[in-house]
Amino acid sequence: MIRFLIVVTLVALSSPAWSQEKVTLNGYIKDGTNGEELIGVSVYIPQLKAGTVTNAYGFYAITVPKGTFEVQFSYIGYTVQTVTIELNSDVTRNIELQNEATALNEIVVTDKPIDENVVSVQMSKNTINISQVKKLPALFGEVDIIKNIQMLPGVISAGEGTSTFFVRGGGGDQNLILIDEAPIYDPSHLFGLFSVFNADVIKDAELYKGGIPSRFGGRLSSILDVRTIDGNNKKFGVTGGIGSIASRIMVEGPIKKDESSYVVSARTSNIWAYLAAANTDNTANFYDINAKVNWRANNTNRFFIALYTGRDKIAFDGGDAGFGWGNSTATFRWNHLYNERLFSNISFIASQFDYKLEVKDPALGIKWISSLQQAMLKADFQYAINTNNELSFGYHLTGQRFAPGKVSPNTTSSIFSTLELQHKYALDHSFYVNNQQRVGEKLLFDYGVRLSVFQNIGPGDVYIYNDRTDNVNIVHEDTLNYNNFENIKTYVNLEPRVSMRYTLAEGQSLKLSYNRMVQNTHLMTAATVPVPFNTWSPSDYYLKPQIADQVAAGYFRNFHNNMFEASIEAYYKDLNNVTDFADNAQVFFNEDLATEYRQGDSWSYGAELMINKKEGRLMGMLSYTWSKTMRKIPEVNQGEAFIANYDRRNVANIQASYDLNSKWTFGATFTYSTGRPMTVPAGKYEYGSYNPDVITERNGYVMPAFHRMDLSATLNPRKNEGRRWKGQWVFAIYNVYNRKNPFTIYTRTVQDEDGNVIGNGRQKEARLVYLFPVMPSVTYNFKF
Amino acid sequence: MKIQRTENNMTMRKAVSSFVFSLLVIAALFFMSCEETVKLDLDDYTSAVVIEGLVTNQENYQFVKVTRTADFYDPGNTPRITNAEVTVTDDLGNVIPFVHNPSGNEDSLGIYIPETPFTGAVGRTYTLHVEVDGLLYEATDKLFPVTTMDSLNYEIDEDEQEDPEVEGRIYSLLLFTQEPQDEINYYLFKFFRNDSLSFDTDSDIYFSDDEFLAENISGVEGPVLYSQGDHARVEMFSISREGYIYYNDLSNLLNNDGGVFSPIPASPRTNLTNGALGFFQVSALDISETEIE
Repeated sequence: MIRFLIVVTLVALSSPAWSQEKVTLNGYIKDGTNGEELIGVSVYIPQLKAGTVTNAYGFYAITVPKGTFEVQFSYIGYTVQTVTIELNSDVTRNIELQNEATALNEIVVTDKPIDENVVSVQMSKNTINISQVKKLPALFGEVDIIKNIQMLPGVISAGEGTSTFFVRGGGGDQNLILIDEAPIYDPSHLFGLFSVFNADVIKDAELYKGGIPSRFGGRLSSILDVRTIDGNNKKFGVTGGIGSIASRIMVEGPIKKDESSYVVSARTSNIWAYLAAANTDNTANFYDINAKVNWRANNTNRFFIALYTGRDKIAFDGGDAGFGWGNSTATFRWNHLYNERLFSNISFIASQFDYKLEVKDPALGIKWISSLQQAMLKADFQYAINTNNELSFGYHLTGQRFAPGKVSPNTTSSIFSTLELQHKYALDHSFYVNNQQRVGEKLLFDYGVRLSVFQNIGPGDVYIYNDRTDNVNIVHEDTLNYNNFENIKTYVNLEPRVSMRYTLAEGQSLKLSYNRMVQNTHLMTAATVPVPFNTWSPSDYYLKPQIADQVAAGYFRNFHNNMFEASIEAYYKDLNNVTDFADNAQVFFNEDLATEYRQGDSWSYGAELMINKKEGRLMGMLSYTWSKTMRKIPEVNQGEAFIANYDRRNVANIQASYDLNSKWTFGATFTYSTGRPMTVPAGKYEYGSYNPDVITERNGYVMPAFHRMDLSATLNPRKNEGRRWKGQWVFAIYNVYNRKNPFTIYTRTVQDEDGNVIGNGRQKEARLVYLFPVMPSVTYNFKF
Repeated sequence: MKIQRTENNMTMRKAVSSFVFSLLVIAALFFMSCEETVKLDLDDYTSAVVIEGLVTNQENYQFVKVTRTADFYDPGNTPRITNAEVTVTDDLGNVIPFVHNPSGNEDSLGIYIPETPFTGAVGRTYTLHVEVDGLLYEATDKLFPVTTMDSLNYEIDEDEQEDPEVEGRIYSLLLFTQEPQDEINYYLFKFFRNDSLSFDTDSDIYFSDDEFLAENISGVEGPVLYSQGDHARVEMFSISREGYIYYNDLSNLLNNDGGVFSPIPASPRTNLTNGALGFFQVSALDISETEIE
């Protein structure tokens, strides 16, 4: 590790440009209207053919030879700013970019849109433009970035009405989902109907599918990095909306103008209204609260505190039975500039996930709880060495506590006793170092390594089995006891990350990447779609870290003066120690879970084509993905390779929005995917009065294809102009042509409408379940 | 569209995990789900022998049913195997021959009963031998003791009284027993209304382990509803761990949602050898009865 660091530093220092006298230009770039710092703004010096982008905190730094240069600051949706800067010594220049829409109040095409997607070394990344997402139709009118992510190339949706997604052959638990750098363990509301991300507070969301930067780790397949807004530091404002499923309100404003600001937002479901109307005793509710305070003390010190909490509560029979789950996160950040070239971010992050189930009944009263907590300290540094080298390095310390389950009676007459599964603890030290290096005019490299030292620590008992694969007759031959902080098992993994970009011509580039990812936190689920009631487990005495190696190659080309971005990427991913479960595994509340899971291999390959139009009246994206994902797990499917549950051979998506005028905007999406592979019966037999299915091959049947079209129209009434109160109506139609998209197929003995078995009680039928028919929705948004 | 009711799932299915799972499926389909019957295009497969065997400690409560698997869309009974050689042996070396359908009853084709009556004994291990077309299928299971039901009571189920599914069928049973805390037990329950085996839902299996159970089981509501004048009978079987696992797996298979939220369907783990489906169950039995008045 240290040797690597030295090599990187030497490579960086030995570049010839070092001999000249160097100065550094740095600063923060923000939105001129609300003071929000902008992430990923391109900073480019044409004379030097050199540039950089703002980091996740809106900061940029570039080291160049002395001189006077024109510097271009460009960002999608904002007017390009070109500034002439005399650089005889280090210069700090904070830039405010003007939003095109606000600047001119009409839609314009920037004279030179940016070509960041072609010039950057990063491939396999998609940025979610939240204002674009808001123009597109949404289920129940509730704007949801996860639903948008499910439509990206290389991403497969677990199914309609779910928040689970699969990236390039990875499992549903292999996505690191971050809100302001804090992990969210279950991003779903109402079992995935919506995600925990309230679109009002989202500034930026990026999905990394490959070529994953060294600063990220912990999951195999993707990083979803969601950042919330900092709050307007220029003026007070209220934003809100009333939708058919949820209502939202957000308050933001300066504490001290241009220096500090706050934002508080709340969203709550209003489904209770429907359920009340349907006269049922069942209720379902969720809420989200986001809050953030940030303080720019001076140009070298900035502080942020971001909080999130959200919860679902579902109750049956007027509260006789119910369950709920929720995530809470807290992030404290300190951005500090040691000098012009060295930027640091120190974060304290806490995250918690829990679920509860309860039945209130004199005899069957029971309470079931499960939770996990994570605390992190992150120290990240960026050093602008010279024009050709940008070094970043850091250390992340993570502690985790897993409390997989506790059941207890909640009445004195309950038949249940108290039982708790033992807690698990883990410590993770991660170090990374990375350099981005320009070699000549055409080549850009990004190379680094991440070292993860993961420890499963005590207290805890480890059972030694006489045969760990026997989940019928479980024999504990011995028990190993561990004290507090005693090491149970340590896994050390080195994760190399390498990316390369080669410019073929203006607006054309070729990119290659290789990355290794390691995952030490595993979701224990045997289903296709994880549910909040699944528990997480650290790598431990038996459970080995999952490891993935991915190579990807891509051709990037922009057309029509960067109006259209096009790319084609191909990847091959090899996954080891992926976790699956033996047939008939008991995953809930099982202290001998080690006898149920099996770790094996998975491999996936595919090609993704994407065309994106990010400017103009008509904007949108067209994507097509072909991919194949296989698994081979001992004792699963008799040890034979099988198609993964989340294999969808062909997926095509179209998203488009059209700004007719300042009053009307229209949106449309279309999605097509091959059906889900599933296990269907080969036949039937009799046992008592039951008619079980004969099961032969796993995932041997492919459900009918999924396709759907949605439309939306957004109305910004003319009377908004010149008024402080601005209202907006969003009309949407989901599933326009009322396609009965298969959600799942199950079998049963033939029954009548009321669920009574009919006939001789031996005839079977297959039932197709589909979720949403054609559904209109109306949402009213406001701002003042 | 359907909005399912939950109280059914809150009743006897005590295996907490399957309880959680039921809630999940309901919740998932809670808002909007429609369904319709579809025709699956299924491949041919090689049919297998199915054996359902039962030995209990009660007289005339042992049988072995030997059948074959059938096509999924076969509308009738599955094929009966009437020419099997069936014997049960115990761990003392006793051999109990079974004979095929001595009554000659059409409904009992494929069912074998002991040539001369015998009853199982607690603590004994029994092995089933079934020979079909020269292939031998075997299974072994042990007869564990079962606790006794202290009493059976009944009360009006208020929800059903308000809105009965079947007019007048508003009484539910209340079970009282003591769960021995110093041993590991597994249970299977069968509920009868006027001597006919009854369920809340046809795919229900009423079974439990004792992992979560406290000693005093008092007033647990049964899953089956009764009318005034009905005769109610509850049979409580002891089962082995293998039996518990078989019924748990079978329940997961019968109630599978197609592998979305539930695990991917799989064949239940069985004590039968040679690829036979089904199970050979050996049980002690406690029966409790009451008239609903």
